[in-house]
Amino acid sequence: MSIFTESSGQVLACPRCDTLAYAPRVKEGQKVLCHCCGSKIMAFKKNSIERTLALTVAGLIVALPAIFMPIIGVGFVGFYHQASLFDSILELFDRGYLLIALAVFLFTAAIPLIKLSGAFYLTWSIKRKRPKPALMKFFRSYHHLDSWAMLHVFVLGVVVSMYKLVDIADLSIGYGFTAFVFLQLCSTLVTVTLDHHYIWHYLERHVDE
Amino acid sequence: MSRTARSSGLSICPRCHKLNPAVSGRHRCSRCHAYFYQRKPRSIEYTIAWTIAALVMFIPANMLPIMVVTTLGETEASTILEGIAKFITLGMYPVAVIVFIASFIVPLAKILGLVILVMGVRGGEGLKSKQRTRLYFLVEFLGPWSMLDVFVVTLMAAVVKLGFLTSIEAGTGITYFTLMVIFTMFAAESFDPRLLWDNKYRIPNRNE
Ligand SMILES: [Zn+2]
Ligand SMILES: [Zn+2]
Repeated sequence: MSIFTESSGQVLACPRCDTLAYAPRVKEGQKVLCHCCGSKIMAFKKNSIERTLALTVAGLIVALPAIFMPIIGVGFVGFYHQASLFDSILELFDRGYLLIALAVFLFTAAIPLIKLSGAFYLTWSIKRKRPKPALMKFFRSYHHLDSWAMLHVFVLGVVVSMYKLVDIADLSIGYGFTAFVFLQLCSTLVTVTLDHHYIWHYLERHVDE
Repeated sequence: MSRTARSSGLSICPRCHKLNPAVSGRHRCSRCHAYFYQRKPRSIEYTIAWTIAALVMFIPANMLPIMVVTTLGETEASTILEGIAKFITLGMYPVAVIVFIASFIVPLAKILGLVILVMGVRGGEGLKSKQRTRLYFLVEFLGPWSMLDVFVVTLMAAVVKLGFLTSIEAGTGITYFTLMVIFTMFAAESFDPRLLWDNKYRIPNRNE
């Protein structure tokens, strides 16, 4: 991983304020901050490929139970009902809230899953040293996914729902919620471990379009 | 005064952050082949348009019921603020504060923040640009949190089906609320934070 030592002397620009800076020699775990606005220009992350690969595998394993297993259940004098994230989306769909059903589906299930499987495919191909031109095309739109994944907000939503329900019924927490918290954790950590700068450098050198 | 990519005839690719030689018009990144401009075209106009759209949605989002509870045949519709008032009467203050911040304060703060940013493009000194850049980070970060109440209603409507005793349905306000959140996110994405720094004196700071 000598990419950055070779490239010192290379010029970088801050995406937030446009100031130019010479890339200093960075070691693993260090980051470069803009001297004008203080934004992070780049970070050289430790074992980025291996860590991201492990997290995406873990995330994809818990994804199915997180979406299809019941998140919470309520019971009250003989009645009992429980619902998963998937049930919630179907319920909105049945009631005619198509737009909201689509939005909830995208923000809590589709986008996080595309993000995880994309990061898995990307790091797996780099680990196996088999980069394909399609990776370039995919990674170009990858950064849009991050701001639209709302797993963390959904987790807080489940907690708030519990507070609302605890008053009217007997509440039980399903395995789906545990799986969902793990999924959220993996998804957030992938954002932390994935080294965009390294991957772009790698793709630039190894993929001919 | 620090040199910028623009003053050196360069432009940073928004997708992969590679510096490309570029001045005006549309360019194609030599690394990722994405098309881009040196500055987002019509950034201010788009930001203003999406912000106004979000502000318009804010009104029905708060006037219309977001949740309809049916208990023993009696229906009770409640707006976001009424839902928060219920938490307060039940003495659940921490949850009341979280929901109030996420669904009322955050959307208004985002809209106000975007207005300050758009105005900041016109005036101000270098130091203020730095604070405004931080404000932009904050607006971007806050974005998704206002979806909180939408997710709460979604889940509650699916889980509370206790025969004739109690059932919960989503209210029409939820559509306007979601649109408002999406519009503020589009507004933040349309804004180009580099406009805050263009044509302004830059004070380099060395304490990082
Ligand atoms: Zn900067
Ligand atoms: Zn590019």
